[in-house]
Amino acid sequence: MTAPDKTRQTFTVEAIPTDLTNGAFFGNAAVDNTVSCLVALGTELWATQRRLKVIEAVMATKGITPQMIEQYVPTAEQSAEWERDRNRFVDMAFGALADDGFRPASAEFPKR
Amino acid sequence: MIGRRQLFGAATASVVLASALEPQLAQATQQEALAAAAQLDKTLAKYPRGVDGRLVRLGTLHLESQHDFSMGFRLVHNRLLRQSSQQAFQRLLEREEIDPATPFTSDQVRDLIGKDPMIIMASKCWLANQRFMWKALQDHFHEHEDFYLSQMDAADKVGPGTLELAPTMVVPDENRHEIHIQPGGYVGDPFAGHIYHHGTNSFYVGTGMRTRNDQDQVHIGTVSRLPLPADGKVRRILDYGCGMGQFTVALKERFPDAEVWGIDIGGPMVRYGHMRANQLNVGANFAQRLAQDTKFPDGYFDIVTSYIAHHEMPGDVTLKVIEEARRLTRRGGVYYPVDFITGGRTGTPQGMFSRWQDHRWNNERWSMEYHAVDFNAEIAKRGFQHISATKPALPGFGARHFVRA
Repeated sequence: MTAPDKTRQTFTVEAIPTDLTNGAFFGNAAVDNTVSCLVALGTELWATQRRLKVIEAVMATKGITPQMIEQYVPTAEQSAEWERDRNRFVDMAFGALADDGFRPASAEFPKR
Repeated sequence: MIGRRQLFGAATASVVLASALEPQLAQATQQEALAAAAQLDKTLAKYPRGVDGRLVRLGTLHLESQHDFSMGFRLVHNRLLRQSSQQAFQRLLEREEIDPATPFTSDQVRDLIGKDPMIIMASKCWLANQRFMWKALQDHFHEHEDFYLSQMDAADKVGPGTLELAPTMVVPDENRHEIHIQPGGYVGDPFAGHIYHHGTNSFYVGTGMRTRNDQDQVHIGTVSRLPLPADGKVRRILDYGCGMGQFTVALKERFPDAEVWGIDIGGPMVRYGHMRANQLNVGANFAQRLAQDTKFPDGYFDIVTSYIAHHEMPGDVTLKVIEEARRLTRRGGVYYPVDFITGGRTGTPQGMFSRWQDHRWNNERWSMEYHAVDFNAEIAKRGFQHISATKPALPGFGARHFVRA
């Protein structure tokens, strides 16, 4: 990919931007941002799943069928490694659900 | 346009057939197969991921999959979140003891909708999905800016149709908004046409239409139902506010012998429209011009039409455009601007709720003004006769069959 030529004519004029980029629906921008993150995560997760489907379909044309993938039995070492990975993933994704003892962000350090 | 799958199919079939035929015939068929393969190479050089019928496939599998999610999200949103949002709105009406048949304004809607989390969640999720869809598309085209700009540069001067751009034109402020929250709108991003085309493909499945439009099905269907002048003569057609030209192309395909023009204020939109028409080998003409000041001679067109353009312009501009249509349509010619059924300044609470969401969160900047115009009455005032018995060319939209008196 060569560098774009900035002198190129594009027949554009400046647009009037929408004011919705930072629309706070929940009355708390942090909650809005969290929902945006969830939708973005869903987008990326599906893109990854769909890519796996394509990979499996291509592999099938090379003799590695979806059945072979379904029936694959991991070795003991693989199982142990994958379980560790799974636990790390769950902890990362859902560990925050167990957070408690919230203090106001403006709170002073506790006295010793 | 030849599809990638069609090309593979043609090449394979030719080679198989060749082996079963006489040597001389087999040689000819093999040549066809080679020609098909060469055509495939050419196509893939231009479109790295090939084409799917009339649609150039998005540039990467990841982007295509992101877009696929966006489409799926719209379907689910329409089926679940929108429903729950409407039910929540109904509960609000009951709680506030508001008659569901009472005329409602957009201000009354705004006062109510912040009071229920289901409404807020549905609106927020819809907006987030819309934003990511546009961002993913825009990021891709800008990341490969040189490739896509080069394609348009090469197409600008090539036919079969013509392209007229107006780089010094003063674009009115009302046309510079980011409609549908599309970044850059129709005028501010060099890839506005690319982005709009792919982005709006997902609109059709997630709205009341619930149909696909990746093969221009909706545009082709609408054009097929457009009424003709009584004398049957269709020599010249204008599609104003043509955007990236799906309707214009469909018009030229239905009327191949007619001189068909698509005009739009968006330079990048008509540029893409022209390039795409070339790809489809359709000789429609595109020009960057204002709908209210088209520069065509009086009575030049047998049919003047547009496809959902009016709700994207202020009410007073709509009236000027109707006036221009009167000037352009020859006596006995047809004027048919396709757009939503207008609903006035008030509606039922549920109706206004839907309209306000689309207006505000989809940045349909002028839709409320559009609804306030009594469209058919305003056209009828300007030298057109309304043929009221005609069915809508686009089901669910206004029946706008007018004949120039």
